Amino acid sequence: MFDNLASLRAWRPAVAGLALSAAISAQAFAEETLGHAVPGQMSLLAPATPVAENLDFFHNKILLPLCIIISLFVLALLVYVMVRFNEKANPVPSRTTHNAALEVAWTIIPVLILVLIAVPSFRLLTQEIAVPKTDMTIKVTGKQWYWSYEYPKEEGGGFGFDSMLKDEKDMKPGDLRLLAVDNEVVVPVNKSVLLQVTAADVIHSFVIQPFGVRIDAVPGRMNTSWFKAEKEGVFYGQCSKLCGKDHAFMPIVFRVVSQAKYDAWLADQKKKSASRESEVKFAAAAPRN
Amino acid sequence: MAAPQQNAKTRRAAFAAFGAAALMLGLSFASVPLYRMFCAVTGYGGTTQRAEVAPTTRGQRVIDVHFVSTVASSLPWRLTPETNSLSVRTGETKTVFFRVTNESDQETAGQAVYNVSPDQAGGFFNKISCFCFSEQRLAPHETAEWPVVFFLDPKLEKEESMNGVETLTLSYTMFPAKTQPKGAALNQTKPNG
Amino acid sequence: MAASDTAHADHAHDHPTGLRRFLFSTNHKDIGTLYLYFAVVAGVLGYLLSLGMRLELAHPGIGVFPTISAWMHGDNSIDAAKNLYNGFITAHGVLMIFFMVMPALIGGFGNWFVPIMIGAPDMAFPRMNNISFWLLPASLSLLLISMFMEGAPGMKGFGGGWVMYPPLSANTGHPGPAMDFVILSLHIAGVSSLLGAINFITTIFNMRAPGMTLHKMPLFAWSVLVTAFLLVLSLPVLAGALTMLLTDRNFGTTFFDPAGGGDPILFQHLFWFFGHPEVYILILPAFGLISHIVSTFSRKPVFGYLGMAYAMVAIGFVGFIVWAHHMYTVGLSLNTQRYFVFATMVIAVPTGVKIFSWIATMWGGSISFRAPMIWAIGFIFVFTVGGVTGVVLANAGVDRALHETYYVVAHFHYTMSLGAVFGVFAGFYYWFPKISGYMYNETLSKLHFWTLFTGVNLTFFPQHFLGLAGMPRRYIDYPDAYAQWNLVSSYGAYIAGVSLLIFFFTVLEAFSKKRVAGDNPWGPGATTLEWTLPSPPPFHQFETLPRIVGGDH
Repeated sequence: MFDNLASLRAWRPAVAGLALSAAISAQAFAEETLGHAVPGQMSLLAPATPVAENLDFFHNKILLPLCIIISLFVLALLVYVMVRFNEKANPVPSRTTHNAALEVAWTIIPVLILVLIAVPSFRLLTQEIAVPKTDMTIKVTGKQWYWSYEYPKEEGGGFGFDSMLKDEKDMKPGDLRLLAVDNEVVVPVNKSVLLQVTAADVIHSFVIQPFGVRIDAVPGRMNTSWFKAEKEGVFYGQCSKLCGKDHAFMPIVFRVVSQAKYDAWLADQKKKSASRESEVKFAAAAPRN
Repeated sequence: MAAPQQNAKTRRAAFAAFGAAALMLGLSFASVPLYRMFCAVTGYGGTTQRAEVAPTTRGQRVIDVHFVSTVASSLPWRLTPETNSLSVRTGETKTVFFRVTNESDQETAGQAVYNVSPDQAGGFFNKISCFCFSEQRLAPHETAEWPVVFFLDPKLEKEESMNGVETLTLSYTMFPAKTQPKGAALNQTKPNG
Repeated sequence: MAASDTAHADHAHDHPTGLRRFLFSTNHKDIGTLYLYFAVVAGVLGYLLSLGMRLELAHPGIGVFPTISAWMHGDNSIDAAKNLYNGFITAHGVLMIFFMVMPALIGGFGNWFVPIMIGAPDMAFPRMNNISFWLLPASLSLLLISMFMEGAPGMKGFGGGWVMYPPLSANTGHPGPAMDFVILSLHIAGVSSLLGAINFITTIFNMRAPGMTLHKMPLFAWSVLVTAFLLVLSLPVLAGALTMLLTDRNFGTTFFDPAGGGDPILFQHLFWFFGHPEVYILILPAFGLISHIVSTFSRKPVFGYLGMAYAMVAIGFVGFIVWAHHMYTVGLSLNTQRYFVFATMVIAVPTGVKIFSWIATMWGGSISFRAPMIWAIGFIFVFTVGGVTGVVLANAGVDRALHETYYVVAHFHYTMSLGAVFGVFAGFYYWFPKISGYMYNETLSKLHFWTLFTGVNLTFFPQHFLGLAGMPRRYIDYPDAYAQWNLVSSYGAYIAGVSLLIFFFTVLEAFSKKRVAGDNPWGPGATTLEWTLPSPPPFHQFETLPRIVGGDH
């Protein structure tokens, strides 16, 4: 059982004793909060929204300790009975097969624990599902095998673009393999964003863990989610519903920037899309004439 | 070994088990209409409700209702709401227009599917009139404005699971109708049976 | 076909031998043996598929599947490799669930020992039992053939996962015949399991020996009874959903096609209405046999027998009303998610009762650490670890971060790959002397345990980290940050492969050394009826039915 104990303890990066974990955790703390995993990461990504912060707290401070305590408790009981009641230590077995108090206890106590878990669990769930007043909207469409994003006209947008995995030959230093995309989504910091998520062909799933967002993109159906990023940075996600051959190759990249930078980006995008549209119109008009 | 009455018992048990399996098989098929009815009645799955008349009482809450539309790639239409959101007071009847254009040279037919999100709003989102109630046809290059007349049931103020919900999204996805007008050859990339 | 006729017919002629003995077998022990052989074949195939995946995932980049694809389909392009990987994850899941764990625990041990434990001469419908088994090789063949048929356009095989969600599994994603083969394969496997389940229910209700009341029945028989009910009530729902999918694909219906007014989410509801009970179908028989092993080697009766039996009934019942916890992210309403969160967590209660009752059975006992007991203790621990992560995932709020990541993979492998498989091996070593008449080598079997225990923990424990760090499942390639733990995980899979070799060696060794096991190699702790018979038991046991007295729980 040694290896298991070790791996259990390894849940906390504190096990610097193991050479492997030591190397890994050193790396893990070298960088600031990031929107993606670092090599050897063993925990949730750093949260960037209030929802993700609550999720992080609920998992790291309530569920994870509970898991470790219960697992260790059962392990301790097993080790104890193996030592105390093996055939050498206890040659004559007892015939006890009932203990009403004990049986009631191990039914009632888990129920109480579960009820206690349910309270913060439901609070977090409500926060995730109930969409508050939002400042802006992005429509997200999952396609085989890329994401399309649209910014509504009424909110200063009126354009859309496809976001595809960057070819390895186009990658610049610092681009993350399988995560970098050609067109990133840009959103302003400290603004609530409504995400309207659907799919064009098969089911995809839109995920950005540091935002606490995960919602399936289902054809013929519009699902919504929301986030309010309170930290600037680049946040990554990957398609999370098996959608065919290139399922692993349609990442999601959201860049959270200051309002000023966002406004500049918006203006730039509108210019680009205007020129794109005139090209399209010209191209579309040409054959008809 | 087994007495005759044992045989009868065995057969009964086997038939009962077979019966249970057959019942479950039947239920799985029955689930299709039952699920649809269940959604229509309760608003489950974000299914909006149909109302004949506007409500008589006005509520207190104001909720942002967003509109969004999608057109399947196999249908050469363009569909956009006149605005992407409205603030709606519960019990207040609102109308929003969807502008639709047939971009092809043929008469084509489409049918919208719809839902409202978050899901729990389905039971409180009432439509008095909607283009999604029936199949729609558009002449070549025809443009139309389709109204959606709706209201939010004031009862949602008493629904605990609607607490904190301040933004709703009403969505339409336009698919080609199953039967197309004569001559319409839609470029359906995916064979649909 | 009545029980007495067939049983009588069997008496009329001598024991068939050779091929006829197994091909036309109506004997529950022979059929059980066939199931066990079948499970071994499927298990090796399933392991090889997972080995392919772990080889690929050991290092970032796509390195292994082009070779496998070239070998299987003569196409070493990256696209073919990506597609084949999806085919592998699908086939691995289906093989391990339908063709390995279920045949081993229900078909193999269930057929062998349920009739004996309840004091019956055979199953209620011996000929139906034969059909149940022989449908499986046909089903498996269809599944394997499907890997070589066209699925997605220009691609071989069905790569939509064992969950087969449309539209990916419909014409939109996989227009080729590969998916139709998978549907047919699962239909046949479903009929096989359904017939088996009906056979078990009838046998257990009507063929118990005089005095063997339900409340005196051994827990393994209880577990198979509950499992059989789950099968009867859940499998037809899968059959229905698959049939609708089949007609959607081939006959123009639109049950799950949004373009025709259908709802792809409905398929998920139907699938998981079957799929969730299915995971209990896999684990409950293991629960049953672990109880016997723990009691035998502690030389103590099972602690809280009734609690144990009804905990399984409770797990089976609650298993039917929690299915949508697999669907937290499809856009369910708040109250729906709240309900499924709580209902799911409730399952932890009867499961906890079982864990604590096993420990209480050992408490005060006189434990001998023979191989089956080691496997059983291993089972209790890994199942606990898999259970607590299940409670984490039950919380929809946290599932938002972990759904469809390797955390889920780790969770269900802790309960199945470790849990159910440890149950299979525990049962195997426990009953091997009874089935074969020979004693296995204690040292080898313990070596087998420790290698597998090390291997699977090394494979699956790091996957918790990968999942927490956000690595999605069903990915052929991953961002480089996930490389370290994937490498560790792959080493674990190789070690598990070594343990498989040790297992085969252990079996060969036992058959070549022919150490006679005797009627009851386990001593006074082994109290169920199979230990009163010779090893191996006679072709027809209990010509005069045993009479069960006392033994009140």
